[in-house]
Amino acid sequence: MEVRTKMKENGEKGIGLIPVIDTITFEMKKQKKKFYFFLGVAIIVAILSGYLLQLIPENLLSDTQAGFYSSGLAFISFITLFAACLFFSGIICSEFNKRTGFIVFPKINKYKLIIGKYLGNLILVVFIITVYYFILGILGFYYYGGPINIRFFYSYGFAVLYVIALSSFVTLFSSFMKSETVTIIISLIILLIGLNFADQIITLVFRDAFEPLYSLSYLGNIIPSILEFPFPDPRYSEFSFSGMGPFGGGSFIIGTWLTPSIEMAIILLLSYIIACFVLAALLFKRRQL
Amino acid sequence: MTETVIKLENLTKRFGNFTAVDNINLEVCKGETIGLVGPNGAGKTTTIKMIAKILRPNEGKILIRTNHSDLMDLENVSSTVSQMGFLIDIPNFYNMTAYELLKYFAKIQKYPRDKIDSRIDELLSLFKLSVWKHEKVRNFSKGMTQKLGIIQAIIHDPDIIILDEPQTGLDPLARIEIRKYIRELQSLGKTIFVASHMLYEISEVCDKIALINYGKIIGFDTVENLARILKASILKAKLLGKIEPKELAPIIERLSNRLKPYLDQELDPSISKIPITYRPEKQEFRFYYDGKINSQAEILSILIKEFESDFTITSFTQPKTSQLEMVYEEMVKNNLPEGKKQSNGGKN
Repeated sequence: MEVRTKMKENGEKGIGLIPVIDTITFEMKKQKKKFYFFLGVAIIVAILSGYLLQLIPENLLSDTQAGFYSSGLAFISFITLFAACLFFSGIICSEFNKRTGFIVFPKINKYKLIIGKYLGNLILVVFIITVYYFILGILGFYYYGGPINIRFFYSYGFAVLYVIALSSFVTLFSSFMKSETVTIIISLIILLIGLNFADQIITLVFRDAFEPLYSLSYLGNIIPSILEFPFPDPRYSEFSFSGMGPFGGGSFIIGTWLTPSIEMAIILLLSYIIACFVLAALLFKRRQL
Repeated sequence: MTETVIKLENLTKRFGNFTAVDNINLEVCKGETIGLVGPNGAGKTTTIKMIAKILRPNEGKILIRTNHSDLMDLENVSSTVSQMGFLIDIPNFYNMTAYELLKYFAKIQKYPRDKIDSRIDELLSLFKLSVWKHEKVRNFSKGMTQKLGIIQAIIHDPDIIILDEPQTGLDPLARIEIRKYIRELQSLGKTIFVASHMLYEISEVCDKIALINYGKIIGFDTVENLARILKASILKAKLLGKIEPKELAPIIERLSNRLKPYLDQELDPSISKIPITYRPEKQEFRFYYDGKINSQAEILSILIKEFESDFTITSFTQPKTSQLEMVYEEMVKNNLPEGKKQSNGGKN
């Protein structure tokens, strides 16, 4: 009787937030192996690109602190992309595929469970990125002295926003895919190859008339680009090649979009996040065990 | 008056053209143990999944009595219902330790935090899993996983416990333990709803049986009453020694005359042609009687007093299992859908 009264009290106190918090902590424990692995990778890559490479005489240190950060962040999009795919791919589909939903769905509201799992994973991935930025920040301070360029913090903000967009994209796939492995493979193919390939084709055909704003990979370019001063303008550039070949000579022009504008990146990343979450929620609602 | 805690009203679930649960009506009262018996694919798990809010019914509703209300439509009960505990299908857990899992489940079901550890220890010890407390579930055997499945269903001390095939994968000893535990829960006044196709397990612990086939409830009553409906109530009398073949016919004749008022005179010939049979290999008599409690006592009394010189009775029982099997077989046979009846008839 005493226990039941206490349960009632507990239930009325938390307005339903306590189960989400419990799920966050549980999910973080559940993913600890993955977390340690990615944390290790992030630390190694940050030290490698920010410190060890600078020890090679041929690798000249950038003139500016921002330039150093920009080159150090070359790998951040890869780390975030792989982390997002591996941490978020099973978030919904594993409950169905591994049938763990039979145990947990009757205990906690389905949406609270997924929100808790999502936030738990997000905290881990953001922590990994934070460590990466922290190491790079310390190294920048070591090489160039203070203060740390404010645009480095903007870049960090964009990296976090980019992770949320990537994770929402992977969560969307997880809401209708059958298994975690398939979700990882499909997400990686789309984000790593598919979108980049589409960007190349689009730019080849439309040149500067069509900016590939649909592409998450392209939007991710804002992370190192925001460190550039002045910000790239124009944001589209072309390179021409000319020469002779076995079948005759000619000149070729290859164009490339460097980065989205700051405003556009914010708007589109937020739109991606909202659209993917709404779609994922709708698909999740319809999905039955 | 016993209050209804779960009420299924015209509950229907379809998957495309297939009707898994067809217009089910069922009432479960507080403190009752109800068995949902049916073959594979009969609709047992689908029914339980709808009660657990994992599946949405196409028609009908599920009413439940929450902590502080009258019967409420489950759809209107916010999120999950904390006073129910579920074991659905073969349990699959996240690969964590038993302790971590149970702690999480207890927390999200709002069990008092200061009592969680002692509750986990109590249940793990009851199910003899204490030494596995800090082992990952990946290392658990099927039976241990099933036990953990039962523990997670009752970790928050719910009033209503719904178990789907709780005996699956368990060794005989573990099954006995589970039965014992179900009885313990009964003694605490818990309402228990068990789905199974293991007739023996069900008949041993349940007050009432709901027979389900092709998504329909084809019978819902106590085993004895269901048997009475089908006129298939049996009593078994085991004897100390064998009866010589030449003595058998006169004994059966005398028994038939003496027990006539209590025997089932309209017995279905497909069950047995006469209401008294003797099985020499088992040294036992079977009496197909009218199912009344008084008749049981009268039959026993007559057998002991008036047939003392013919045989000695070592046990006198009403075999629930075989009775239930018979009831089950009969009901399923009589309730085949039209198409199935024809194909069945053709085969026979």
